This record gives sequence, C-alpha cells and structure tokens, in this order.
Amino acid sequence: MTQPLLKIENLQTYFYARSKHSFVRAVDGVSLEVGQRETVGVVGESGSGKSITAMSIMGLIGAGPGVISGSIHFAGTRVRQNLLDGLDKYVRITEKNNRVMAVSKDESGWQKHSEKLMKNLRGKEIAMIFQNPRASLNPYITVGEQITEAVRLHTENKSVKEARERAIYWLEQVKIDSPRLRFNAYPSDMSGGMCQRAMIAMALSSEPALLIADEPTTGLDATIQSKIVGLLEELKYETGISTLLISHDISVISRLADRVAVMYGGAVVEYGPAKSVLGMGQPTKHPYTAALLASVPSEQKIRDKANLQTIEGDVLDTINVPAGCRFYARCNRVTPEIREKCATLHPGLKEVSPGHQMRCWLHCS
Amino acid sequence: MRYIPLKALILTLLKELGLAFLLLLGVSFVVFAILYAAPGDQFNVLLEGQLPTEEARAGIREAIGTAQTWYGQYSSWLLNVLSGNFGTSVRTGLPVAAELLNVSLNTLYLTLGSMAVTLLIAVPIALYSSVRGHSVVISWPLTMLGYVISALPVFWLAYIAIYISIHSFDFFPLASMSESQGGNAWLYTLVPVLVLGLGSGTISEVIRNLREEMTRVMAEDYLRTARAKGASVWRHAFKEGLLLPVTEIIASKIPFMLGGAVIVEQIFNWPGMGRMAWQAAQDRDFPVIMGIALVAAAFVRAGSLLQRMVCTAVNPQQARD
Repeated sequence: MTQPLLKIENLQTYFYARSKHSFVRAVDGVSLEVGQRETVGVVGESGSGKSITAMSIMGLIGAGPGVISGSIHFAGTRVRQNLLDGLDKYVRITEKNNRVMAVSKDESGWQKHSEKLMKNLRGKEIAMIFQNPRASLNPYITVGEQITEAVRLHTENKSVKEARERAIYWLEQVKIDSPRLRFNAYPSDMSGGMCQRAMIAMALSSEPALLIADEPTTGLDATIQSKIVGLLEELKYETGISTLLISHDISVISRLADRVAVMYGGAVVEYGPAKSVLGMGQPTKHPYTAALLASVPSEQKIRDKANLQTIEGDVLDTINVPAGCRFYARCNRVTPEIREKCATLHPGLKEVSPGHQMRCWLHCS
Repeated sequence: MRYIPLKALILTLLKELGLAFLLLLGVSFVVFAILYAAPGDQFNVLLEGQLPTEEARAGIREAIGTAQTWYGQYSSWLLNVLSGNFGTSVRTGLPVAAELLNVSLNTLYLTLGSMAVTLLIAVPIALYSSVRGHSVVISWPLTMLGYVISALPVFWLAYIAIYISIHSFDFFPLASMSESQGGNAWLYTLVPVLVLGLGSGTISEVIRNLREEMTRVMAEDYLRTARAKGASVWRHAFKEGLLLPVTEIIASKIPFMLGGAVIVEQIFNWPGMGRMAWQAAQDRDFPVIMGIALVAAAFVRAGSLLQRMVCTAVNPQQARD
C-alpha cells in the first residue's frame, strides 16, 4: 500500500484550564489517515473535537495555552514533513499527583515555529473551507480578487492577468452562474450558497493536495446544503482531490466519504470504510454510531410525524474524562456481563473486520 | 481593474457638502444668537472711556449698522458671507477674511501635526499589543507609558516643555512663526505640535480604541481564512482593523484638538485661530468670532467628510446605501 497523504498519529490537543488544574482534552489521541484521492469523513456531535482536529492540522489553534502533541505526517509530492515537528520543546508542563500545576508555553516561539512549519503548506498543499461562508470571505475585497490572491500566492500564474483568468476558470468549475460578473462582486452581494462556492473555488484554485472541509454545509439552507454536497461530489470525481470532510451531518458524510471516523469526546470510537460504518444492516456497530444513525429522521418517520430520536445525556465533559468507556454514561447497549469493564476500562481501538476498527467492549473483548 | 465606486464617492461628497452647508448655517445662527444674548457689545469695549454719552454711542451704532433688529443684523451678515465678505474686524479694522485664512492655516498646521504625533505614537503601540497581547512583558509598559503621557494636562506639559527647551536646549519656542528665527523656524514650531500631540489625552484613548478594533478584527472568520490560505494577515486586516478606525479617530478628535489648540496657542504665542478667538471674545469682536466659529465648524465637517469618503471607498455596503 502506498503511503497515505496525511497520517495523524495519536494527536492530542489540550487546553489548559488554570482554575481546575487540568487539561480540557478537546482531542485525545486521534489517529487518522487520508489516502491519495480519498475522502475521509469525520462525524460526531458538536464538542466531539472534529473541528479542533482540523484546526490542529492547519496550525490554526490560536487560544493559548493550547498544547498539541502527537504527529501529523504530510506526504505530498512536493513536501513531506511532520506538521508538529519540534513544537513540543516550547511547552513545559509541571504535574503533581496527576494534577497539572503549571503550563508554561513560549507562545510567540511556538507561533513562529508553527508558522515556519506551515509556511509552504497552508493554502498551497492543504486548503480549507469553513462553515458560515459569508463571514469567511473578506467583506472588503471582491470575491474575484480573493481567489486571484490565492492563485498568485500558490501557483505558477504570477501575472495578474493570468491569475484572473484562472480565478474565473475556477468560478466556472464551481458552477457559479455568470462567473465574470461575480468576479467583481463583494461577498455581501452574494447568497450563502454562492459564497461557499466561491470559498471552494478559492480553496481549489491553489491546486492543493488536500482539502479540509470543516462543516461546509452548516449555516446554509437545506436546499443549498444539498447542492453544495452535490458540487463537492462532482469535484471529488473530477479533480480526485483528497478530502478530510468534517460534519455533524451524517447524511452529508454518507454521500461523500469513502471512509468514516466517528468521534466522541475527543476520541475516535469507530473508524472504517463508509459502507461498514454507516451502512444499514451491519450487525457490528458502535452504540454511539447506531444512536447517531437512529437520530437521522427517515422518510417513513417524517411521514408518520414520529418524534425525533435523540441521544440521551450530555456531551462528554472533556476535563474529567472517565476511566472507562467515554460513552458509558449514555450508552443503551451495556449488558450485565460487560458493565464492569465499560465503567472502569477504556476500550482500545480493535479491528472487528478488515479495515474496520471500533472502541467497544460489546464487539471486541 | 481594481473597482473604485466612483459614483458612490461623488454622491457621498455631494451629500456631505450639502449637509455641511446646512450645519454651518445652523452653527452660525446659534453662535450669533449667543453673542446677541450675551451681555456687553463691541462698542462698549471699543469706545471705553472715549464717548461717554448715550447719543454719541447711538450715532456710531447707526453709522456701522448695528442699530438694526437682530434678524436684520444676522441676515445682512449672512448675505455678506455668502458673497465672500466676512466683514471687518471691529478691533483692527482689517478685513476678517484675509486674517482668517492666515490664522486657520496656522491652526491647521498645529492640529494636523499634533494628530500625526498622536497617531505615530499610538498606532504602533496598539498594533503591537493587539497581536502580542499575551507577551505582557513589553506591551504592558508601552501601554502604561501611553496612559501616563495622556494623563498630563496640556497647559502643564506646555510650560514644562518651554522650561526644558530654554534651559536644556537653549532655544525659545515662544516666538514661533515670526521672521526673526531665520531658516529653521519650523524647528521651533515642533514644540507646540509635540505638546498638543502628547498631552491632549487622546493617546491612551486611541491606543485602547485601536487595540480593541484590531483584536476584534483579528478574531473574525475571514482572517482565519486568510491564515488558512497562507495570505498576509495584515493585508486582510488593514481596512477594517486600521484604516477605518484611524479615520474615525481623526474625524472624532478634531474638536478636541481645536479645543486644546486654544490653550497651546495662548501659551506659545502661536498666531492661530484659538488665540484669535480668545482675543476676539474679549473684545466682543463679533465678525471675527463668527468667522472663526464658521471655520472651526468647517474643520470638523471636513474631518467627517474624510471619514465618510474613506468609508465609502473601502466598504461596498456603505457605498450602496
């Protein structure tokens, strides 16, 4: 098997809660791989650490003292490096009796080093699109100029004229109607859906190896959402770009992803091919994935006006992470035989079928 | 092919000029009303001890035309101003317009210069502490320095500056703008400019204002996008984080700067509007007071005109409505 484009190993992104002398474990030991021409979906509730994972890859974790460890190997054709290389030397953690007493971080040193690591990658090798596309575009610069900027920064088209033509080409690629007219429009002149198309055009215009789509459909109307997903689907087959797709919306993930990682409380609880993770009729399913799938209203339920199914309980408190399974408190599949294990032992990621891993005592002992 | 909203700019200009005209009209009327209602008139001052009888005074008034009713006086002044005649000074007998041009240029130099001083000090501190807010070590003392400087009253700072420049540098900034100074007279004018720029209490305000704006803009979603695409954060933050707040500050600080100029001009014997207004008020020199009020109001409007134009030029939404 060829080397994956992006290989995240044991990523930990912690924020220090000074008053509680402990870390908020936003991302706690996530390992993921994105192969060439592959779309990997990350799904989970809000607060499960999906977006923080994406931000960690991009080196955009701003709020200090954020501590990131693990490794993120990027292996593109032009650049190969660990995106977290050498960052740990800027942080010193003082621990006492399992309580974090002090975190001293050389914030500016960290930032500078991170900027240096990411300099040739951001925008060029890894591009990103966000939720709320309208707020994500600079309201003071025309859409066309913003795309042109990306083209000139990262591709061989250095002259303004060439770059503009290229920008218009990408506006055509994302199926914006009358792209030459939209080139001179400001984000405030355009609808949310069009803004997201422009964002996608901007991200692709630098011809990156990896696209990170962080909740690309959130904040858009339902019909627009479906159109944006349709566009991403088309672009996936046309350009073959590797994508890390992050969404809380399981239907978006199931339409686009080749492989899926289900995150809960900062950890991946199930990871495998989309078919076996999200497919109906699969006998082995993580209880959390099953609950997520059950909470998506089916057409039958909508017709019957049945109540929406919810997952009882609250999102995991990532400060006081329980010793046992993270989902234990909300799990409805705990059987008497495994109850003790669930409550006290954190299940490891075990393979249940080829390429399909799961953290659950129910399916792997 | 950079898009410039020319039509919107012209519209804004016309709208602002129209508004300025109405405002100046209002200002002139209010100032006139205050002067009319205030006790004492120019002739009491002018003729002090010379023509004691009521009849003689009435005769002089008749001759100059003050005997009219208040609306008669106001409308004749207004008509004269509209045709470019600001009247003659009661004290000196010289035409007001020429003198007004002279002093207003001096004051413009003083206020714009001190504004530049304020911004040159405040902007770097604000920018530095907005991006490096966490490295308290340097940004905190800088901010404190700005606050301490701003807490110094202008009049006190002015006297200290004069004292220091005389005793330590052996130069005398009081005779500024006179011809006796020779070639480097402009050097002497720097002292009052620095004093007004440092001491008017604006530095700390500008620092706080700009830092807040910059910090807010830095947290905007579109700056995250700029970072994610590897573009310059400053390029993307410039318009909303720096250009707009700075023009806003300039526009809103002009009245304060003019107020401070009155004091500084008095102390440094600076032949500007503030000193002239002070003198004219004591003499009840109505045409001069009215003229200065108009020019001061025009300065303030010019500041807000600048702000509106910049706003329109950079902000497409503003341009539309």
